[in-house]
Amino acid sequence: MKKYLLITFTLILSSCSQNENSNEINIYSQRHYNVDELQYANFEKKTGIKVNVVKANADELIQRMKNEGENSPADLFITVDVGKLWQASEMGLLQKFEDRDITKNISSELLDKNGYWIPVTYRSRIIVYSKERVSKDELSTYEDLANKKWKGRLLVRSSSNSYNQALMSSIVANLGSDLTTQWSDAVVSNFARDPKGSDRDQVKAIAAGQGDIAIVNSYYIGLLLSSEKEEELNAGKSIGVFFPNQGNNERGAHVNVSGIAIAKNSPNRNNAIELIKYLTTDEAQKTYVNNTYEYSVNPNIMPDEIVQAWGKFKKDPLDLNMLGIKREEAIRIFDKTGWK
Amino acid sequence: MEVEKNITNNRGVNISSFFLSLFIVIPLFALLLSVFKVDLNNFYYLWDNLLIDYSLNTIYLVLLTCFFSLIFGIFPAWFISTSKFKGRNLYDIILYLPLAIPTYIMAFTYSDILSYTGPIQSFARKHMPEISNILNQDYLQIEVLAIIMGLALYPYIYTACRISFSLVGSNYIDLSRNLGMSQMKTFFKIILPISRVAIFSGLFLVIMEVLNEYGAVKYFGVNTFTSGIFRSWYSMQDVDTASLLAVSLFVIVVFFFFLERYINSNYQFNYSANTNQESNFSLSYSRRLVVHLVCLIPIIFGFLIPILFIIDNVINEFARINFSKLIDLIFNTLSISLVSAIIIVLIAVLFQFFRKVSKSRIVMICSDMISLTYALPGAVVGLSLIILVTSFPNIINSNIFIGSFFLLIYAYSIRHMAVGISPLKSSFEKHPNSYDDTGINLGLTPFRLFKKIHLPINRSAILIAFLLCFIDIMKELPITLILRPFNFDTLAVQTYQFAIEEMIPKSAVYSLTIVMIGSILLIFLKKIVNKQINVS
Repeated sequence: MKKYLLITFTLILSSCSQNENSNEINIYSQRHYNVDELQYANFEKKTGIKVNVVKANADELIQRMKNEGENSPADLFITVDVGKLWQASEMGLLQKFEDRDITKNISSELLDKNGYWIPVTYRSRIIVYSKERVSKDELSTYEDLANKKWKGRLLVRSSSNSYNQALMSSIVANLGSDLTTQWSDAVVSNFARDPKGSDRDQVKAIAAGQGDIAIVNSYYIGLLLSSEKEEELNAGKSIGVFFPNQGNNERGAHVNVSGIAIAKNSPNRNNAIELIKYLTTDEAQKTYVNNTYEYSVNPNIMPDEIVQAWGKFKKDPLDLNMLGIKREEAIRIFDKTGWK
Repeated sequence: MEVEKNITNNRGVNISSFFLSLFIVIPLFALLLSVFKVDLNNFYYLWDNLLIDYSLNTIYLVLLTCFFSLIFGIFPAWFISTSKFKGRNLYDIILYLPLAIPTYIMAFTYSDILSYTGPIQSFARKHMPEISNILNQDYLQIEVLAIIMGLALYPYIYTACRISFSLVGSNYIDLSRNLGMSQMKTFFKIILPISRVAIFSGLFLVIMEVLNEYGAVKYFGVNTFTSGIFRSWYSMQDVDTASLLAVSLFVIVVFFFFLERYINSNYQFNYSANTNQESNFSLSYSRRLVVHLVCLIPIIFGFLIPILFIIDNVINEFARINFSKLIDLIFNTLSISLVSAIIIVLIAVLFQFFRKVSKSRIVMICSDMISLTYALPGAVVGLSLIILVTSFPNIINSNIFIGSFFLLIYAYSIRHMAVGISPLKSSFEKHPNSYDDTGINLGLTPFRLFKKIHLPINRSAILIAFLLCFIDIMKELPITLILRPFNFDTLAVQTYQFAIEEMIPKSAVYSLTIVMIGSILLIFLKKIVNKQINVS
């Protein structure tokens, strides 16, 4: 019996992970696109640094890092929602990092004023409309979505989606809590149906005539327009893309970044910096835009043709950390106003 | 080990099973560590704004899903167990197969099929414009979700019923027939009451699956109690309240489990094997039509339609499939499922054996408790283990555990114990206690008693438990996401990652592989079940 115990014990120990190799880098990432694997492979080829990745939900990764504390193997934390980066920095899980060589190529309004994270791509949360039933002139701002003329016509997904939470946070930051609550109340009463499905489902619902306008992420519209299914493509073509709040005195469309940050207890800090440098090079930025429908943080690099066709737009210059700071207020407004 | 020496006075068994079950439910204690830190303001906030609504939704969804899975499960099982008709054997195989399709894949697939750009509505627009408006509905509704979950989960009921109906034996059926009862009357008056314990055991798995489901309910915009757990964790960043809700969920499940146990305690039947197969009901033409319909509905909607849709996507994406990655993922998935399933079955068998030889209350309660962790969402089990191994930084270096296969497999064992225990329990309970008494009187040590008697007579059940666990772990998602080692992907993870990024066609080859491996195992399982119940 002792022998079996010994064998079991040895097996358990040997199955446990060891991170002794120093020429590597450990990433906790919320991004799980094919393009990321491509980026890491290119980076490995260039530098010989091995990239190890765990991909999961941002909040799960935050809990993992928080509980691991000083023992955390994580070098880098990557998310698709800046709110979660702020959250991690607030919980003391990140370390500051500043490098002019990296930030000089990035649009200044996308940078972290506190110096914890570096943006790698961004997307906008936009309005799409049925070309058949809505004229572009009828659309103007996010605020206008509260207008009674949209009663029974507005489509959007659930408030548990972090892109919606980020949008609501930006509105709280811009308008204040009271006005935002009124706004959300009116928007909810304009819903064509209870929030559900994905962003792409909102577009399909427009095509199906269940509603006329929808709030969606620009990234998913690119995906839909590149679909190989004829019916999906038709649905994508039946809608127009509109960037809200573009008028002279208006703040611009809401954007959210996918960003990268160095973990507080990063065991391979130098390698981590190498990867951040690489992901912000022209080469890597081009790889992003050629393989996804995201925008490059480098203003000189043009997005995919499908995205370019929507034209340029003015971005809301709000400090992006606000998307995290105002998150709790935003959630309570969702709940108070019945945005499911 | 201790068991061998002390089994006659039961103390060793009691202590061993107590510690072994502690090992399984220990994450709950870790959650309690978190619960004590809870800020009640957030809980009151959730209670005032969401929880009542979420709980009502949960009850409605559970009831509705139970209703559909009972309909899809019981009736085909009844006809197949008692009637002879063409296609019976084939139906019997395919009726198990929806178990190979993960619930969230079923949900994503159906929402795509039914959507405006899906095949049904597209076809109607092109060829039958007059009915296309009728079909153009919003299908993302709680009722539709309940049907979809019913389709994904009814095999739990079907398997339980199939075994029970066949074991009830023809004696009862003959008797009822002599009393002039029709097939339907026999079914409702005799078979159903006799089989209620078996049906409840299947139903309990269905209920726990509905309770722990997150992906599908989120997609359908249905907020359940589990949504509340994730609302506090993901949206409000309040892990403590999330833990409190998870523990509450567990307590509620435990309550209902023992309530059911109490109500049904007077309904224990001794089955005798089905001795005579010839007493099957014969079917008239119209009857046969009904039988085919009853069997074909769950087959077509639970398996054929989703699988054809997935295959169609695979064909469209075929040129872009990365086969070397696929093979990697298959290897990862198979090896982790294999190891975990073996460990789960070992523990589950040990517990059933303890139950059998000890009959002590502690052992009974312990062995029941360890199957109730199934009601917890996987991500919560994962979180609890992370909290557990990091709570004592001076004693345990969490670095060794987090991101290790050990912790991953441990989490699977906690989560999926119920799936392994369910078939074993009914098999162990079926055999009379006189076997053990005789064995002990003949001077067998407990170990030899196990080896010579329990192992052989429960062999089929052990295999069934292994296969069910294997399939369940193969489909597992949230635990893998939160606890996995670096660079470790499984088929389920890859499927999900494409699906949530709204790239269903790209996910198809991975989901098809899960379904195919699962189907092969289920066909194998069906063979064992049928051998056990003596019909083929």
